[in-house]
Amino acid sequence: MAREKSSKDNAQALFHSLRSAYAATPVNLKIIDLYVGFAVFTALIQVVYMATVGSFPFNSFLSGVLSCVGTAVLAVCLRIQVNKEFKDLPPERAFADFVLCNLVLHLVIMNFLG
Amino acid sequence: MGKSWVIFVTSILILLPFLCNSFSIETPTDHRVLVLLDDFAIKSSHSSYFNFLKSRGFDLDFKLSDDPKVALQRYGQYLYDALILFCPSVERFGGSIDVAAIINFVDSGHDLIIAADVNASDLIREISTECGVDFDEDPSAMVIDHTGYAVSETEGDHTLIASDDFIKSDVILGSKKITAPVLFQGIGHSLNPVNSLVLKVLSASPSAYSANPKSKLSTPPSLTGSAISLVSVIQARNNARILICGSLRMFSNRFFKSGVQKAGSSTKHEKSGNEQFLTEISKWVFHERGHLKVVNVKHHKVGETDEPPLYRINDELVYSVEIYEWSGKSWEPYVADVVQVQFYMMSPYVLKSLSNDKKGLYSASFRVPDVYGVFQFKVEYQKLGYTSLSLAKQIPVRPYRHNEYERFIPTAYPYYGAAFSTMAGFFVFSFVHLYNK
Repeated sequence: MAREKSSKDNAQALFHSLRSAYAATPVNLKIIDLYVGFAVFTALIQVVYMATVGSFPFNSFLSGVLSCVGTAVLAVCLRIQVNKEFKDLPPERAFADFVLCNLVLHLVIMNFLG
Repeated sequence: MGKSWVIFVTSILILLPFLCNSFSIETPTDHRVLVLLDDFAIKSSHSSYFNFLKSRGFDLDFKLSDDPKVALQRYGQYLYDALILFCPSVERFGGSIDVAAIINFVDSGHDLIIAADVNASDLIREISTECGVDFDEDPSAMVIDHTGYAVSETEGDHTLIASDDFIKSDVILGSKKITAPVLFQGIGHSLNPVNSLVLKVLSASPSAYSANPKSKLSTPPSLTGSAISLVSVIQARNNARILICGSLRMFSNRFFKSGVQKAGSSTKHEKSGNEQFLTEISKWVFHERGHLKVVNVKHHKVGETDEPPLYRINDELVYSVEIYEWSGKSWEPYVADVVQVQFYMMSPYVLKSLSNDKKGLYSASFRVPDVYGVFQFKVEYQKLGYTSLSLAKQIPVRPYRHNEYERFIPTAYPYYGAAFSTMAGFFVFSFVHLYNK
């Protein structure tokens, strides 16, 4: 009895500490997180649509999902490199990499879309 | 002298085409008929039938069957368009005619009438077997019917039978119904049931049998009942027509004029049905009825008029043919029940009935199936008594070209939207990220 009550208390304590730690992150990182969330949400919509209608132009489906997943991955890379706790390279260089990679990604997407 | 000779030769050469008045594709009715007889008494005893033929415009050439000068062809060309064999007891033909010559004559599209009789020779039996008809093996057998015989004062052995079991075909027997029964006295034959080209025109009644009337029956007869055919016709695959009859006396003046009363029935007919029956069936045998020709096989895309060399899948096309029937003097439009066209590649992908405009033009419009390959337009028309039509025209069908597909697929619109929305999102995000303080 006491152990169950304490595990429930532990989960609640963990959740609260996560929320307060996240509230402390800088605003630009939160903007990147929002962007990643938007990309994943778009990918989920496409997968649900394919599950209902069927995979007829499969190349279009793959292209759509790849664009969402690719932007999410590139945004996560940008978030890692821009975070002030890591001093690997200057944030301008990170942003330039991000833009170039996105250009290549969208070129591939437009060709594969059909 | 030389000048007048030149004028003579040129005038002959100019007149020569008009002297050739023979059977041709354009006028399928036969003209010159060779009639082979056992003896010339048949010419006078069967004169009604021959006069009927002459009145239809045939040139009859009467010869004895063992005349050494008789010949069907000379220098590779046939001298006659049709052959009538009224010689049931011939053992060997004279001249250059034999079984092979007669079969070749039929194979080249000419018509034949054979009349056998009791004690028919082996030669006549052999010719009939080649045509698909088997006479009774006993040479002196006749068809006897104790319930369907013709009532008469003299003959008591019931070999003179009155039959009205006709085939139901207006094209073979004419549109006027034959009311009086037909008198028959002779041998019967049987047909192979597997053979689809022979037809029983006059069958014996179920109580008939084939046996020698003068001797006692020791074994049951082999040919009995309605399996016995008295008069049969064969329409060969090249549309040559053959009439085989087991009684030469059917064609005689005596039978044509005599009255008939069938045993068991009280109606006494003044005139037998022989004349009407034989004249109508002779008209059919000599191609005055039921002879079809097909012209103008055309196909094109809906909306165009010229014939393309190939079609694409899912094209709409129109197929049309014109069918005419020979009426004895001219080609009349043929009005049929159902003529079908198949779009065929190993099996028919499309089977459509052609619609008729009552002037001989049959057309149908359909869509090319979603399969590419080499197809055929096939029309197979076989109706009882009419010439069989078998047309096939090959046409290739190609798949879509790469630029004939639809440009944007409607089911993929969400994916297009997602790709463009990520691009727009990236653009907006980069501005927000750069100018965020």
